[in-house]
Amino acid sequence: MKIAYMAFVALLPVAAQEFKIPASLDKLADKATEVVDVTLDGSMLQLASRFLSEKDPDEARVKRLVAGLKGIYVKSFEFEKSGEYEESDVAALRSQLKGPGWSRIVGVRSKRNGDNADVFIGSDGGQVTGLVVIAAEPKELTVVSIIGSIKPEDLRDLGGNFGIPKMEIGGHKSTGAKEE
Amino acid sequence: MEDLERQLKNALARKDAPDWFEAKVMASIRRDGGVQARRPALRWRWASALAVTVLVIGGVTWQHERMVQERAAGEAAKARLELALKITRVKLQRIEQRLNETERDN
Amino acid sequence: MAGPGAAERNGEAEATAPTFSDVLRANQGMVFSIAYHFLRDRAAAEEVAQDVFLQLYRSFEELQNGAHAAFWLRRVTSNRSIDYVRKRKLQAAVALEDAPEPSVSEEPGDPMLNRRLRALIGSLPETPRMVMILRYQEDLMPEEIARTLDMPVRTVKSHLQRSLAMLREKIGRSMGDIR
Repeated sequence: MKIAYMAFVALLPVAAQEFKIPASLDKLADKATEVVDVTLDGSMLQLASRFLSEKDPDEARVKRLVAGLKGIYVKSFEFEKSGEYEESDVAALRSQLKGPGWSRIVGVRSKRNGDNADVFIGSDGGQVTGLVVIAAEPKELTVVSIIGSIKPEDLRDLGGNFGIPKMEIGGHKSTGAKEE
Repeated sequence: MEDLERQLKNALARKDAPDWFEAKVMASIRRDGGVQARRPALRWRWASALAVTVLVIGGVTWQHERMVQERAAGEAAKARLELALKITRVKLQRIEQRLNETERDN
Repeated sequence: MAGPGAAERNGEAEATAPTFSDVLRANQGMVFSIAYHFLRDRAAAEEVAQDVFLQLYRSFEELQNGAHAAFWLRRVTSNRSIDYVRKRKLQAAVALEDAPEPSVSEEPGDPMLNRRLRALIGSLPETPRMVMILRYQEDLMPEEIARTLDMPVRTVKSHLQRSLAMLREKIGRSMGDIR
């Protein structure tokens, strides 16, 4: 998986500050037709992990992924029509990730379908300590923040559990076209 | 078949359920105190019958009730974890797809 | 419940009745689509579809096989969708330009005509609307529709005839004749 490879080569020696999805984003809930809001801090992750089976290969992989994590936070807003959120909402998220220790490994701007997406990696002393995905589509805005130690194979494993098809790690060096 | 009927079939072609619909249904079931969905329903029937028998015959001990509550909470947390990981996966896949499209265009 | 699919029992995989997850995965599109085409509101369709599967989970052991599950799901989805509208007095007949459409892969036929037809079907009263959806989305014969909605076959046929006549007339006026 391209993104997993890019994450590995993007590691910086300076510690990244934890990225928190700002509460101000919740204002979008009023305009959204659907909101998904998942907050799993360390204790909830530990609790969930206790109910993951070692015998099930998919669940065992998730158990290993979760072992190094401190939190998973997801906010996703779906709208009836485009234009319901401002570019400034997204810019504010990205500006948080300009600090030390964060690097953007993927930036996609698609004129064809209006999708914009960024993937950021936080690192500390050569270890990945965070992953942030900001997916801004015309009728949907999704922010994912995963805090904790993530290995490149964990990114691959994100695709391998709960029946989702796996993706292969590729050897491409592309950093994504059409970046800002 | 008439043109209109053909057009109606086109217009009413099935739509896909939202990406993480399945995960949300399972999360709701677990939140409501259901058992892991991978077990056959028959097992849940036996498990619930057993739970009722314990309640009727022995009364509910404090530890048993706490275990049941903890299990429900754990299953709910697991379902939320599934949902979060599935959303992450879908988004990363889409981003990779866009990257591939962009590379092909260039 | 007999049918394809595998379930784990005592650690061994064996070909047994499909699990709830199997049935959910196989039928989520059908259930969502019936609700969506009926309610013309994506969030409402999701809510109804979720409720249907929660009810399925509670009633799962009563089902006999995959075909029975599909019949059960169509019936419950139809009833729940109709109840949803009646409870909320939802106006499902919306103007063409206001109709929210879920993101879908390419649909067959003329998109403009499809949208017009969906809007017109949305303007039908609840029962004939559901009859049309079961006929043209699910490809059910009138007898099957009658069993699903628990109504006489002649009533189903009457709804179909009148609805088609209305559509023919309105589409004919706005877009030229379609036979």
